Amino acid sequence: MVMGFLTLESLSKIYGDLAAVRDVDLSVAKGEFVSLLGPSGCGKTTTLQMIAGLVEPSKGRIMLDGRDITRLAPNKRGLGIVFQSYALFPHMTVAENVAFGLEMRNVPKSERAERVRTMLGLVHLGQLAERYPRQLSGGQRQRVAIARALVIQPPVLLLDEPLSNLDAKLREEMQFELRRIQQRVGTTTIMVTHDQAEALSISDRVVVMELGRMTQIDAPYRLYENPATPFISSFVGKMNRLDGIWRGAGASGHAEIAGVKLPSEAADLADGQAVALSIRPEKLLLRQVGQGRLDGTIVNRFFLGSYWLFTVETPVGVISVSVPNDGEEPASEGAKVALDWQPASLRVEPASARGDAA
Amino acid sequence: MSPMQKNGPIALLFHTLVVIFMLAPLVVICLVAFTPENTLSIPTTSFSLRWFQAIFVHPDFVDSFVNSLWLATLAASISVALAVPAALAIDRYQFPGRDTLNALFLSPLIIPHLVLGVAFLRLFALIGATGSFAWLVATHVIVITPYVLRLVMAALSGLDRSAEQAALTLGASHWTVFRRVTAPMVLPGITGGWLLAFINSFDELTMSIFVTSPQTVTLPVRMYMYATESIDPMMAAVSALMIALTAAAMLVLDRAFGLDKILVGQK
Repeated sequence: MVMGFLTLESLSKIYGDLAAVRDVDLSVAKGEFVSLLGPSGCGKTTTLQMIAGLVEPSKGRIMLDGRDITRLAPNKRGLGIVFQSYALFPHMTVAENVAFGLEMRNVPKSERAERVRTMLGLVHLGQLAERYPRQLSGGQRQRVAIARALVIQPPVLLLDEPLSNLDAKLREEMQFELRRIQQRVGTTTIMVTHDQAEALSISDRVVVMELGRMTQIDAPYRLYENPATPFISSFVGKMNRLDGIWRGAGASGHAEIAGVKLPSEAADLADGQAVALSIRPEKLLLRQVGQGRLDGTIVNRFFLGSYWLFTVETPVGVISVSVPNDGEEPASEGAKVALDWQPASLRVEPASARGDAA
Repeated sequence: MSPMQKNGPIALLFHTLVVIFMLAPLVVICLVAFTPENTLSIPTTSFSLRWFQAIFVHPDFVDSFVNSLWLATLAASISVALAVPAALAIDRYQFPGRDTLNALFLSPLIIPHLVLGVAFLRLFALIGATGSFAWLVATHVIVITPYVLRLVMAALSGLDRSAEQAALTLGASHWTVFRRVTAPMVLPGITGGWLLAFINSFDELTMSIFVTSPQTVTLPVRMYMYATESIDPMMAAVSALMIALTAAAMLVLDRAFGLDKILVGQK
């Protein structure tokens, strides 16, 4: 791998006995969009604040473009930051907010005005330059915050839960907007989020954090298809999880739960070994009874617009199945159905991978 | 703004009575100021400005008024200059003695002004500062600083710290962050604190009786001395003027920032 543009080397932050962030190693390429994903308290925001210079690392190094910036004051780093609360200056107009960073850099007045105008155009706020933040909607404030951070042409843009204060519809629009702007400007971007859908949809790579540690770094699709830990598999997307036993030797075997055989892409497992099985709801297909691999009864049916979500009672446990809404009325509650799947979709791991066994 | 709840008839009656109880003396004194009589009475047949005119033929009242104005302006400004850095330190930093310092700054609120007055009188006699205007200002600064401190601290605690962090990351120095971001954002608190301090200093009587000298008599002390000798409607006229001044100041402040925001610390 090429030398990263922004590199974190065993970056740690320890508060007393508690390690908020532990040995984070991350290399971000120039122009890349990386998300730090995890539940609250996983250390993602602390990591971002260390990069910004707002929290001092207890250990480790931060390198930017070959330069060590670990101990550099935040006002000397030149990074662009968008805060969760947007942190606009309430007593300044939109244009003054955006111009602030340029003013601090002593950019001449005429050039300043030009760059502010261009940037406001990029975020579609040209008409609102003279408004005050309190006169703007949440989405507009968000754009002002992005414009203010980007106008100084920072080497790295840091986004702290940038969309969490927006309502669902706007959040989705802003996701794509954010990606559009980022690709247009080409700024290396690190975004902190607890929303897996947000992280998956707009990032080049996603870093999953748990209890202060990084547990997986991968492209969104690979992260979704090959979650490294059971935690990630349930945190990223929905996942059916079952406990079973491996039957047969090595690659020719199959998984078994309560006497039911479950075909799977074989892993190299010993006969009789306890295994954890997982399969995503959308990888399961509903069939007529007798035409699938596992029979069951539909307990609940939820309509979610673009798809239907079923919970199916089967001999091996309750399983969620999602079916795209193709316009046909699907099976109703109480109906007998069969479940089918591609053997490769059913992941089988030794049960110890769950983390709670020794 | 929180949604208003409707008051029941009993609550309304109670509120009305409280407001009447608070405002009635002010209304009465303002009416009395316009009496043409020689005694304290509510004018019934005609109004007169003679007692307002009377103030201006008492040059000692005019001097005391000017003196009080200077005193309150200086004391309130010095209080702000002391309380803003103190509030920042107490709000932002953890350091040994932080709570003690906070309590110390607020302690003048709980010490009776009478006690303070006697103590200062004794101190001034000892150090030979009796009659000094500068020392009078100092005593006023001590009793009014708690008000400024409280209001500035309330404003600081409601402040979004990330705005300051944003300014910092945009390249501003710490001083620039304070000047361009923090100060404008807590300005309502500072202004409200200054005004409250000004009014408190301008009104202060109990302590001032002890620490003023014939050269530095403040308006309330002058009024008190006058009232102990003779009671005529001129007192009412002076009071009416002070009420009008205070009301005007409040009105200006309300228009500029909103009194709710300043005194309650709402965002």
